[in-house]
Amino acid sequence: MEIPLSALKKGESGIITSILSASRRGRGGSWGFKKRLMDMGLTPGTEITVTKIAPFGGPIEICVRGSRLALGRGMAERILVRIKREWLRS
Amino acid sequence: MVKKLTIALAGNANVGKSVIFNQLTGLHQHIGNWPGKTVEKAEGTLHFRGYEIDVIDLPGIYSLSTFSLEELISREYIALERPDLVINVVDASVLERNLFFTLQLIELGAPMVIALNQVDVAERKGIKVDHEKLSRLLGVPVVPTIAIRGLGIYRLLEVAVETIEKGEVRPRQILYGREVEERIEKLARLVAKVGFKYPARWTAIKLLEGDREVEEAIRKLDPTIISIKEKLAREIEEIHGHPCSTVITSERYEVANRIAEEVQQITPIAKPSLSERLDALTSHRLLGYPIMVVTLLAIFYSIFAFGDYVSTILSDFLYGFEPLFKSVLGEGLLEELIWGGIIEGLISGVTIALPYIVPFYFLLYVLEDSGYLSRIAFLMDVVMHKIGLHGKAFIPVMLAYGCNVPACLGCRIMETERERLLAGFVVTLIPCAATTVVILGLVGKFVGIEWALLLYIVDLAIVFALGRAAFKSLPGEPIGLLMEMHDYKLPHMKTVVNQTWFRLSEFIKIAFPFIVLSSLVIKSIELVGLLEPVSTLLSLVTVNWLGLRPEMGVSLVFGILRKELTLIMLATLLKTTDFGSVLTPVQMMVFALVTMLYIPCIATIAACVKEFGFKKAFFITVFEIAFAILAGGVAFRLLSLLNIP
Repeated sequence: MEIPLSALKKGESGIITSILSASRRGRGGSWGFKKRLMDMGLTPGTEITVTKIAPFGGPIEICVRGSRLALGRGMAERILVRIKREWLRS
Repeated sequence: MVKKLTIALAGNANVGKSVIFNQLTGLHQHIGNWPGKTVEKAEGTLHFRGYEIDVIDLPGIYSLSTFSLEELISREYIALERPDLVINVVDASVLERNLFFTLQLIELGAPMVIALNQVDVAERKGIKVDHEKLSRLLGVPVVPTIAIRGLGIYRLLEVAVETIEKGEVRPRQILYGREVEERIEKLARLVAKVGFKYPARWTAIKLLEGDREVEEAIRKLDPTIISIKEKLAREIEEIHGHPCSTVITSERYEVANRIAEEVQQITPIAKPSLSERLDALTSHRLLGYPIMVVTLLAIFYSIFAFGDYVSTILSDFLYGFEPLFKSVLGEGLLEELIWGGIIEGLISGVTIALPYIVPFYFLLYVLEDSGYLSRIAFLMDVVMHKIGLHGKAFIPVMLAYGCNVPACLGCRIMETERERLLAGFVVTLIPCAATTVVILGLVGKFVGIEWALLLYIVDLAIVFALGRAAFKSLPGEPIGLLMEMHDYKLPHMKTVVNQTWFRLSEFIKIAFPFIVLSSLVIKSIELVGLLEPVSTLLSLVTVNWLGLRPEMGVSLVFGILRKELTLIMLATLLKTTDFGSVLTPVQMMVFALVTMLYIPCIATIAACVKEFGFKKAFFITVFEIAFAILAGGVAFRLLSLLNIP
C-alpha cells in the first residue's frame, strides 16, 4: 500500500518509494526540492519512522538514518511510502 | 620566517564545528562576510610548531550541491582556494548522515582529516565508533574528540599538521555501481579535456546529479558534453527506474550506511535520557505551546527588567558628565552640536545596545546552542506557513520584539533570497523594545492597559495581513521546513559568549554611525530653526489627516532616530509628561499606532540596506511610512466613533 508520509500515525514506519515533484513548479524548483530531501537522506528504499506530529496541520518529525528531521506537512505529503505496520505481520 | 598554513573546518550544522573553531583559535578570530555574500565567514589564527595557521570555519551544510548559498560558498572555497587541509567535523552520534557529506568532500579531492566529535554523546546513546577502522575504510586520519571539553583538540592539531607535512593524503574514492561508474568515468574524461576549475571526476558526478551551476559553466566550455551527459543520465535512469540524481544520491547514502554499520556498535539504551524526556515535553503537541509561551515571556520580561535597570544607571552616569562638558566648552552653538548631536547620540546608542542587546543575544545563543530554538521552529511552523515562510522564520520574528536590527540580520537563516526578503519585511513591522516603551508609556499609562493590548493585537493582525500580501505578490514558490532536530545539550559558554560579542560588534558597526549622524542632523535642524516650518508642513498630514497635535509630527520625525525618542520629544515639546492632560485618548492611540508601523528606525534601515540592497530597503521604508499614515487616518476615524474613557 503506497500512501503519503503525512498519512502515517505517530510511531508508524514506512519505506520511501518515491518523491513527487513539487506542484506548479518549473524544473528548477523541483530539482531543488527533491535534491534537498534526498541530501537529507530521504532516498527511495529508506526506512523512516514518524516520531512526532505537530497539531493543526503542522510539521512532522521523523527518524531517518539514525537522526531526526522536522519536515513541513506540505513536503511530507509529497513523499510516498509503503507502510510497514508491525502488527500486521505478528 | 614563519610558514603559513590554511585549514578549513567543514561539516554538517550543529556538530560542534564552532566549538572546535573556538578551541583552536581562542580569541584570535574575526567574523566577516564572504565577499559579496550575506553569509558569515569566521576566520582565526593560531601558532603551532612554528607554523602560523589560518583557520576558516565554513558554514554548516549537509551537501555540496547548490541548493543554498552556504553550500556553494563551501565548495568554491575548498575546490578553488585550496586550503592546505580540510578538517571534516563529524558527529559520532549521527554517523551515517555525516558520512554522506564526508564522501562528497572526498570526491572533491580535498586533503582531509576527520574530527570524530561528540563521542561522549554517542556513547550515551549506546553508539561506539571504531575510529581506527573508520580511518582505514576512508583512507583518512580520524581523531576522536569531545570538543566541548577540549578533549582531543591538541591531537587533532598534531595530526592535521603531520598530514600536511607528509603531503600525501589519498582518501579512498567511493565507487558507485558499475553501470554508474562507467558513465562517470566516460564523462570525467571529457571534462578533463576542457580544463574545468573543479576536479574532473567530481564535475562528472555533479553533472549527472543535475547540478545547475556546474551545468551552466560546462555548457559555456563545451556544450556537447551536456548533450552526452543527458544521454548517459537517461541510460542510468532506464537501468534503475529512478532519475539519475536520485540514483547517485541513493548510492552515496548506501556507501555511508555500509561504512557506518561496519564501524559502529549499537547497544540499545533502555531508559530514555534526560535530553529525550526534555525533548518529548518541549515539543509536545499540547504542552509544548504553553511551555514555549512561558519561556519566551520569562526571557522577554527578564531582559526588559534587566535592561531598564542597567539603562537607567548607565544614562545617569553618562549624563553626569554634562555639567563638566558644558563648563569646558561653554554654552553656545558648538557645545549644542557636539553634546546634543554627537554625544547624546552615542549615549543613546550605548544605553540601548549594552543593556538590552547583550542579554538578548546571550540568551538567544544559549537557546540556540541548547537546541530549544529548533523546537520553537517546529511548533511555530504552521503559523509561519500562513505568510509563506516556514518555522525557522519565527526566530528572527522573535528577535524583532527585542530589536529590529539583529532581526534583520537574523533573516540569513532562511534558505533562499526570496525567503530572506519576505522575513525581513515582516520583521521590520514588529514593534521592538523601544516601541513597547512608547506604547506602554503613552497608551498603557494614560488610556488603559487593555487599549495597549488592543494595539498589539491590531498590529499582529496587520503584520499577518501584510506578510501574507507580500508572500502572494513575491514571485516564486515557498519552501517547506526541513531541519535536523538535534538532541538537547548543554551550551558551550565560551562559544555563546564569543557569538554574543561578534553580534554586538556587528550591531555597533551598522547602527552607531547612523544613530550619531542622524542625531547630529536633527540637532542641526533644530538649531537652525527649521523645526517650526517642518512642523507646519507636517501638520498637513498629522493634524488634518491623523487628527494629532502639530508637536506630534515633529516627535515622529525624531522617532526615526530611535523610536522611544517620539515619547521623549513629545514630553519636551508639550512641556509636560502628564500626557493625559493635553492629549485626547484617540490622539494617543493613533500616535502609538503610527509609531508602531511608520518606519523602521535609521539603524534598521541601515541593516536592511546591508542585507537586501538599497532599492529594497528604500521600498520597504517608503511603503511603511505610507501605510502607517493610511492606517493612522483610518484608526483616527474609527476611534472617533467610539467613546473612549
